[in-house]
Amino acid sequence: MRAKSVIILILSLTLPSCGFAWRALKKNLSAPPERAVAHKLADPRRPEARLSALWIGHATVLLQLDDRFVLTDPVFSHTLAQASPRLVEPGLDPDRIPPLAAVVVSHMHFDHLSFGSLDAIEQRTPVVLVPPGVRANMPRYSFEIRALESWASYEHDGLRVTAVPVQHVGGRYALDTAFETRAFTGYVFEYHGLSVYFGGDTGYIPSAFKATHARFPTLSLALLPICPDAPRDFMQYTHISPNQALDAFALLGAQRMIPIHFDTYINSDDAPGACPKELRARMQARGLSDEQVSILAIGEQRVLIER
Amino acid sequence: MSPAAAVGLWAVAQLVPSPQLVIGEKHVGGGLRWQLTPILYSFGIAARPWRTFLVSPIARHSGSVELHVSPEWACCAPDERSSWLVRAGLRLYLPLLEHGEKLSWSIGGAYYRAAGGGGASADLGVFTFNGAFGLNVTVSPWLTRREVITTLTIRLF
Repeated sequence: MRAKSVIILILSLTLPSCGFAWRALKKNLSAPPERAVAHKLADPRRPEARLSALWIGHATVLLQLDDRFVLTDPVFSHTLAQASPRLVEPGLDPDRIPPLAAVVVSHMHFDHLSFGSLDAIEQRTPVVLVPPGVRANMPRYSFEIRALESWASYEHDGLRVTAVPVQHVGGRYALDTAFETRAFTGYVFEYHGLSVYFGGDTGYIPSAFKATHARFPTLSLALLPICPDAPRDFMQYTHISPNQALDAFALLGAQRMIPIHFDTYINSDDAPGACPKELRARMQARGLSDEQVSILAIGEQRVLIER
Repeated sequence: MSPAAAVGLWAVAQLVPSPQLVIGEKHVGGGLRWQLTPILYSFGIAARPWRTFLVSPIARHSGSVELHVSPEWACCAPDERSSWLVRAGLRLYLPLLEHGEKLSWSIGGAYYRAAGGGGASADLGVFTFNGAFGLNVTVSPWLTRREVITTLTIRLF
């Protein structure tokens, strides 16, 4: 009888996540072929821009801050972990990426850290910034891999990149999630009076957003994830919902927001398009304009501040 | 999950055996293999090259040399009793695709000890899915009834 109770307890604790994993697997197995991006840019450099953002897909964004380029969570892979196919091709080919001042990696999950993608841009960046614990889980490259603790900065030639706290989980191979308890972060880029927040992947943590606002009170732009949203109970700790992303945007006090981390891979119960649709509804309810929150298509570049 | 619980889970994961196809001179049987890595030096990893027991897949498959210990159990051959042996040896892992996460291979040599005595063996392997699955062929010319062993390796961390 006691053994039966233990089995029921174990099953009741594990089956919900197993059910989600099974549904995600089924969706991935029946995923449509990778969709092409029309009108891909051949040259993302915008001489007329002080600040521009090009959404390459998922959490990969090419930012131009005056004459400097930085790249977030570079993933150009056609499948994640040999299991999850990409839904839309990368919005920019890796060989079109201009010389970078820095690359940041928010954490080690396969949708944020791709070793093959880093191979593709290895010669284009002098440094890749990572959270603590990640360096010991990355292969050797010709660029420097530098770990940043929360609030620590990397500075070079006028560009400053500061690691800022977020709420997520580290690890890459499931089991190491328990060991890599600090292996996730967000970042703020500062250059020539411009400042951009990159949330990577985060749960809703008002204290961290407020603390970031206190240190960076005039953020020009916030890149915030809006998906996965469902199942909410499962995602709650690690991922903000579209509505929470708008809350985070308000707490960060940024002038503009670009949502990221949706409709590129299947990693949730969300239907394609559900997260941006929910975001639009919440924007409308809050009276936020498209200029304040710009929902880009994959491959779309937006000049946010002109020279 | 706490790190202590994770170590416990890792220990349980090490109990998951890798199934074997045991081919001897005159018969075919089955078997199981377990694997432990007391020490590994990774020359493919960016930091912390020395690892003991708990070895992340990228440290192993991006390029490494490991000292391994493998208990094995052979069974299921007609008219044969089951038997145990232990191998200990060195194995070199080299990456093929995406620093070994997608595909890597290995070559190794070991000394085995079985009930009838000891001897040398050599092995060749190929691994995929972050090293979780692989195929390993072990040749032990002087190990009667187990000259060639093909193992479907399952390694969860």
